[in-house]
Amino acid sequence: MPQYILLLRDDRQKVRGHESPEEMQKVTERYLAWRNKSFVVGGAGLVATTGRVMQKKNGSVSVTAGPFSESKEVMGGFYTIEAASFEEAVKLSADNPHVDFGTIEIREVMQK
Amino acid sequence: MNEPSNPVLLEHLFRRQAGRIVSWLTGLLGSQHLQLAEDSVQEAMLRAAQTWPFQGVPEKPEAWLFRVAHNHAISALRRSSRFEDNAGELIAALEATTKCIEDVEVEQSLRDDELRMIFICCHPELAQDARVALSLKLVCGFSVSEIARIFMAEENTIAQRLVRAKRLIREQSLPLLMPYKAGLQDRLNSVLEVIYLMFSGGYAAHTGEELIRRDVCLEALRLGQLVASSSMTAPRVDALVALMALQAARLPARTDAAGDMVLLEEQNRSLWESELIALGFYYFDRSIAGEQISDWHVQAAIAATYAKAESAESIDWPAILEHYDQLVAMTASPVVALNRAVVVVKVHGAEAALAALAPLEGHAAMRGYHLLPAVRGRVLAELGRLAEAYAAFSAALECDCAEPERRFLQKQLESVRGRWKEPPLDKSSAQETPIPRLPSTCLLRKSKPT
Repeated sequence: MPQYILLLRDDRQKVRGHESPEEMQKVTERYLAWRNKSFVVGGAGLVATTGRVMQKKNGSVSVTAGPFSESKEVMGGFYTIEAASFEEAVKLSADNPHVDFGTIEIREVMQK
Repeated sequence: MNEPSNPVLLEHLFRRQAGRIVSWLTGLLGSQHLQLAEDSVQEAMLRAAQTWPFQGVPEKPEAWLFRVAHNHAISALRRSSRFEDNAGELIAALEATTKCIEDVEVEQSLRDDELRMIFICCHPELAQDARVALSLKLVCGFSVSEIARIFMAEENTIAQRLVRAKRLIREQSLPLLMPYKAGLQDRLNSVLEVIYLMFSGGYAAHTGEELIRRDVCLEALRLGQLVASSSMTAPRVDALVALMALQAARLPARTDAAGDMVLLEEQNRSLWESELIALGFYYFDRSIAGEQISDWHVQAAIAATYAKAESAESIDWPAILEHYDQLVAMTASPVVALNRAVVVVKVHGAEAALAALAPLEGHAAMRGYHLLPAVRGRVLAELGRLAEAYAAFSAALECDCAEPERRFLQKQLESVRGRWKEPPLDKSSAQETPIPRLPSTCLLRKSKPT
């Protein structure tokens, strides 16, 4: 079965207003419910406070800090799912609660 | 995912643990480091919300939250060690407790930390509205915006109230020690007062937000039980818990599907929560054990008399009136006297009730209070003095009151106008509509709302 990766980016604006413990629990429960669905095969959260961007400039590798959680959109984590087709993958992702808190980018994993 | 499915999170787990962790860390660090304790809790909650959606719920979620908050406090202290003289000592104190974290579920000492936190939130140096907000924030884990919603206040107002209170705690280094003897009794009274204000805040007939209001009521009940199960308890604590449980039992029946108020006598008793009623009677029996009778006792007795009646028709009004007579003598509160007048209608009739209301007119504390003209309007309507009743309801509607109460008063006003032989405004509305009865439940409030 083809696999798809969902890249979750948080929108700081939309996360605001959910900072109380009760709200954070409610939001977490929504993600957990989605994560428990049978088509989800993996995933991981990414630490928001550390990050480095590396690239080669003028022959040497430059390392810059970021992207940080202060920037408008930061990658919060990813899920891997299984679906019969790209269309199905999109359909299955539509009720991921993250659509309320940022963007989801869906990419198909290239098969061997 | 392909592993065993996640355990379901306990209801209010985050909020409950927030209160416990702040209390625990503040107990270790001292009240001048309250902010660090709060920041550490916020960090733990945030980390859980960022990690658990992907990794799943850890095996011991409570211990996980404690550990993350604990680690955050230690690293924050390390960073500040250049400015903070005793950072080393504090770090050592925190590190010494690492082992306890796994036992958070069984720790009796955590209950003591929570109790100490309630007692410092109710310190006499703090203004009373600050005590309520601070308890909700620190002990119960509500956020500023949630507290603002509960009290229909501006978020800024609540935030400033909290900042001032916390600054006072920090600057005066208010100790987390329990007061002794006479001091303890005074503080206990302040704690009970705050718990009941918290409860009334949730219980008030505001529109919408039913869930959070119910949560606040149940939190107040929980804190009451926490105090009642401690060594500091007194019969009046049991009485307060009984009162709150019996009132909270009626919450589901208090509004109809449209969100309109349903009066106690018209409530569907099958909606009353039998577990809370049973809890109320349990604490009520306990409260009688002592020799002293507090006003909480009498209020609980009133709530118990309502709860005991199997139907609206079998309410023992003379017994309730007797309790009110006692309460008026104890409190000298005009609001209590107003509530008593409502019961006088049932026992001695409207004419007697009107006489009971007379001394309240012109009372300074009653100025602008919508329930005085509302009660007078109801009594006058029963006597058939419709023009005066109409004027009274109009006066009530000119006062500030919550939206459901406003709709309720509006209905009464219209029904009086309908019964009026010569309607002053609109002849088409002159049909017979029943007069809704008085909101005796919402009259149980001790003092005038601010």
